[in-house]
Amino acid sequence: MDKISEIIKLKKNGLFYYNRIILPFEGYLLKVIIDDEIITDFSTTSKYAYVKEEDGFMNIYFKEFKNLSEIISKYEAIKIVIVEKGKDIFNMKNHRKLALYLEENHVLKIEATDDDILFIE
Amino acid sequence: MFTNKKFFFFSLFLLLGTLFSINLFAAGSTVIASETESVVTPSIYMLLPFVILLILIATGPLFYKHFWERHYPKISILLGLVTVVYYVYFLKDYHSVIHIFIEYVSFIALLSSLFVASGGILIKIDREATPIANILFLLFGAVIANVIGTTGASMLLIRPFIKMNKDRIKPYHIIFFIFLVSNVGGALTPIGDPPLFIGFLRGVPFLWVIENVWYIWIPTLLIILLVFYIIDKNNHSKLETTEAVEYSGKIEFKGVKNLIYLVVIIVAVFIDPGIMSWVPSLKPLPFGIREIIMFGVVFLSYNKAHPDILKANEFDFEPIKEVAYLFVGIFLTMIPALQLIAIFSQQNHDMLHATSFYWATGILSSALDNTPTYLNFLSAAMGKFYLDVNVKSQVIEFIFKDDIFLRAISVSAVFFGAMTYIGNGPNFMVKSISERAGIEMPSFFAYLIKYAIPILIPIYTIIWLIYFS
Repeated sequence: MDKISEIIKLKKNGLFYYNRIILPFEGYLLKVIIDDEIITDFSTTSKYAYVKEEDGFMNIYFKEFKNLSEIISKYEAIKIVIVEKGKDIFNMKNHRKLALYLEENHVLKIEATDDDILFIE
Repeated sequence: MFTNKKFFFFSLFLLLGTLFSINLFAAGSTVIASETESVVTPSIYMLLPFVILLILIATGPLFYKHFWERHYPKISILLGLVTVVYYVYFLKDYHSVIHIFIEYVSFIALLSSLFVASGGILIKIDREATPIANILFLLFGAVIANVIGTTGASMLLIRPFIKMNKDRIKPYHIIFFIFLVSNVGGALTPIGDPPLFIGFLRGVPFLWVIENVWYIWIPTLLIILLVFYIIDKNNHSKLETTEAVEYSGKIEFKGVKNLIYLVVIIVAVFIDPGIMSWVPSLKPLPFGIREIIMFGVVFLSYNKAHPDILKANEFDFEPIKEVAYLFVGIFLTMIPALQLIAIFSQQNHDMLHATSFYWATGILSSALDNTPTYLNFLSAAMGKFYLDVNVKSQVIEFIFKDDIFLRAISVSAVFFGAMTYIGNGPNFMVKSISERAGIEMPSFFAYLIKYAIPILIPIYTIIWLIYFS
């Protein structure tokens, strides 16, 4: 089982602090939908998001938002398309669609998107 | 510095305080504007808050999005308060302000109840999105928009429409949805589209619209559907080369109890002392039994909705909060515009014809919101006959004089709302939901130039030539 599947199965959470989210895995980010912004530019000069990888986890900083909890409400999700580090990015089957929910105490709930959630890659 | 929430409550307190105090001191007088008093002509400079607000609404989300998102509530309320202060303290005309505020409360009650009730319903359609299936879906959406409003229908149907088309979704799918379900479809009843509801509140009989607009609605709808079919068939034929997908054909419906809430809202529209004499008036309160029922639906339908459905719909109060904040400013700042335009048309009634009303209402409805535009031109058309849009009996008298003007205004206010993202409330909501789903929608100008002008303007010109030229 890959790391992302394991995290979802074990219901492990990430974290968020103001405009920063921390995901407990490493990966290649392809697309992020936050509020009504579709972000696909993750280059160092991107004015929307900055991705920083650490050993075993990754950070995403949303430059346009000061505090995510003011933007994302209870039933809303930040949606991402990501490929786990080390997997073939060109194989569409490796593209994972995840929904991230902001919970109490900086907890970021990670779920695989189901059919109910609208998410066109 | 005030936060938005603190600012909102402070301003609301100030506004309500002003309205209530003057209302209580004006014992014995009616809250319906101008029925007992002549309106003092406002200064032309008092159009400025209205013009500034509309320009900001049009440009804010496009050119300075984050500033606008943070500050629009303060801007809208402040501009509204400028008008309130001018009317109350300089013109001593508090009736106009109270009257418009009552109308605003009714308007928000309807929109918010439809928005929240439909947000608790989830429809899943597991069928192939053939061009014919899409046409039937859009036709259904257009019809149902007259029962639950363009806002309710858009909220209810945009997600299943995207899901049904997820394998070949393109921006044009969403754009035709905006044309048909969010706008043109809702031209048959006052519940259909906010301008018509405002007309109803002003005294236009409920059934007048369907009786006088259906023969314009049907051909318009069919032509737009035909254009959609041609484009969609082309898109669908390209898909046939890819692997076949199996569909169960099932239509799943969750949150059925919210349908009951929708029925309650529709019934509540008629619970008005002006329609049913047994309904008690709650004057001097700025709302009635109808609004209490509608706000009750907001509370119940949200609190009783299944969290999974709200989550699947990614339910958020932000869109309706935005409408509530912006429209308090629009309603208040448009008071002088309404009065001045009525005076202008009284003075220039010879040069105003159905054609001028059709195109002027249409062009302004495209660029501005169609609700204040409808009211402005209804006021202008009535001004032609020296009648006052603030007096219900005079609205009915106006319809009997010559209803071509009201027909032109009603049709073009609703139809032209589809011309831009800001033409009608649901347009932006649909765009926002689509973008949240990952669909890259065209910019404001691309929508206008690539879709609205080439598709809608020829159709609306045909409508004008046949019915209003």
